[in-house]
Amino acid sequence: MRELKRREVTANFLSLALTLGAAFFFLALLIFLLSGEPRRALQYLFIGPFSNPYYFGNWINASVPLILTGLGAAVAFQASLFNLGGEGQVYVGGLSVYLLSLVIAPGAGVFALPLLIGGAALAGAAVAGLSGFFKMRWRTDELISSFLISSALILIVDQLITGPFKDPHTNLMATPVLPRGLSLGRIFPPSSLNGSLFIALALAVLLFFYLYRTHQGYETRLCGVNREFARYGGIPVNRYFLLPLLYSGALHGLAGALAVTGTYGKVLKGFSAGMGWNGIAVALIARNHPLWVIPAALFFAFLESGAKIAMIHTDITLEVSTVAQAVVFFLITSRWIREYFLYGTGRQT
Amino acid sequence: MTGGFTFPVLHNAVDIMTPLLLASLGGLLTEMAGMLNIALEGLMLLGAFFGILFSYFTGSLFWGVLLGALVTMGIALIYGAVTIFLKANVFITGLATNLMAAGLTTVLSHHILANKGVVTFPGLARPPRWTLEGLESVPVLGDLFLGHGFFTYFSWLFLGFVLVLIYATPFGFRLRGAGKNPAALRALGLHPRRYQLIAFGFSGFACALAGASLSLNIGAYVPNISSGRGWTALVILYLGNRTPLGILGAALFFALAESFSNWAQGAQAIPADFILALPYLITLAVMVGASVIKYRRSSRKKQRECGV
Repeated sequence: MRELKRREVTANFLSLALTLGAAFFFLALLIFLLSGEPRRALQYLFIGPFSNPYYFGNWINASVPLILTGLGAAVAFQASLFNLGGEGQVYVGGLSVYLLSLVIAPGAGVFALPLLIGGAALAGAAVAGLSGFFKMRWRTDELISSFLISSALILIVDQLITGPFKDPHTNLMATPVLPRGLSLGRIFPPSSLNGSLFIALALAVLLFFYLYRTHQGYETRLCGVNREFARYGGIPVNRYFLLPLLYSGALHGLAGALAVTGTYGKVLKGFSAGMGWNGIAVALIARNHPLWVIPAALFFAFLESGAKIAMIHTDITLEVSTVAQAVVFFLITSRWIREYFLYGTGRQT
Repeated sequence: MTGGFTFPVLHNAVDIMTPLLLASLGGLLTEMAGMLNIALEGLMLLGAFFGILFSYFTGSLFWGVLLGALVTMGIALIYGAVTIFLKANVFITGLATNLMAAGLTTVLSHHILANKGVVTFPGLARPPRWTLEGLESVPVLGDLFLGHGFFTYFSWLFLGFVLVLIYATPFGFRLRGAGKNPAALRALGLHPRRYQLIAFGFSGFACALAGASLSLNIGAYVPNISSGRGWTALVILYLGNRTPLGILGAALFFALAESFSNWAQGAQAIPADFILALPYLITLAVMVGASVIKYRRSSRKKQRECGV
């Protein structure tokens, strides 16, 4: 039994290493084919995030929303539900921070910031919860409904940011800057790393305890493994169509709120682009384990930060990191690769 | 469009329908083989990019579209091969293809065309529109059948091709068998996975033409030119009950809705983004409605079976 467990861990590790290795290989290949200065581009890409405190802090900061969206995707996956609406939930979370700041900022004092962030989490939960409700009530496929709701909301939020709530004093497509006192403190100047890092890390630990150490978490995971069996065991399975999606949406809403209050200080048009999708990749790399989400998010943020730095100094463009991320997506769920490492051959199952 | 049509909204709807019809027929072929292809969006994007890029390099629309379709097919085959032979989750590899398409088109646009925004190709000819002089003003029929471009007429041919292929050829039966009951196919000594892979190839080809129709008709490549049409195509596939003619009906319905909202946008001052959100919301409403009906039906059936 222990032998089998060990072999499984080794196989998981090797297939992950192969996947990440392939991603780096294709990234390097693309840069050698297209860039006029591939050596410098690769150097900036891989060493850039470590080269000075500013880049280093920004790399860590870029991983914060990915930790949160990764946790959000993971909690839904654990109940074998798909939340494809992450992008929209993050965006709505961000906008609700601004909207709430118009209403509650003046009177609330020290409670203002927690109220804003909590409100954004509720907004995200409401958006994802709608898909969960449809699923619970009528078995509407949450995979498609969450995607559709999110796609519509992104366009509507775009319209609100560039229309009625646009800051008239700048050319930026963004809302006005949040009032003083409504932002999280910077902890590693001059980079934009801020207090949201601690919130994200704490939530990862909290979600771990929820999923693996509480009754509800156990039932969530059991529904994910086999819903029929869970029903047979007397678990109210209907509840677990809605509940994991509510948590998932709340985590996505938080990701948006923390990006706005911590990093940007205002709601920029399209700030959430990629956060939702990359959260899904992060959850898959982490095999839906809340604590492994942290290194997985750091890896994804590293690709992006490195590409950003390389773009500033050389002729490559940021999107090369998207191609590398796609390679990860392609291979991460391959059962053939895992079985190859588990049994030595890719045998039929 | 040109004047002389009785119902411009209807005439435009047919043009809008073209990429939707092509992409959802492409999705139908993989669906028949038992694979949910959510990469229609990305494959369209690739087709739009490579179609116009090769048209520009070869100076010929025909070769451009053909080469673009072949490259897109190649990527669809990689997507299929990873899914089928490396046994990856088709849904995640579909996301990967979409991500790859968005990344690759931007990177190539940046390095080959030195611009990752909107790229115009001023010297490039537009696909010609075919019509019969004098008959355009025939109500409805003229709007539906005349004055459209190559891609529209091709999409109808492709519809016929798919109909014959899946319902009247041994290949089509085996393709559907690969989706419904792979074990039976294997028992006949056939290889279901090969049929699935071929379906991915066809799907890539159809989506490439859908995409090429978008970029070539405006003579420019715009980032994210497919803008959700691949997802709409997926919904059309489901609304059309996974049959070619059902898809035709659903695609026409969506195209009419969009054509109508374009007209409303011109007539009223509704912000563009709200209008753009409409197809998603309509789709959501239809999908939830369909699941309510299905749920009621199945619970009634259960009641009958239990003798309640």
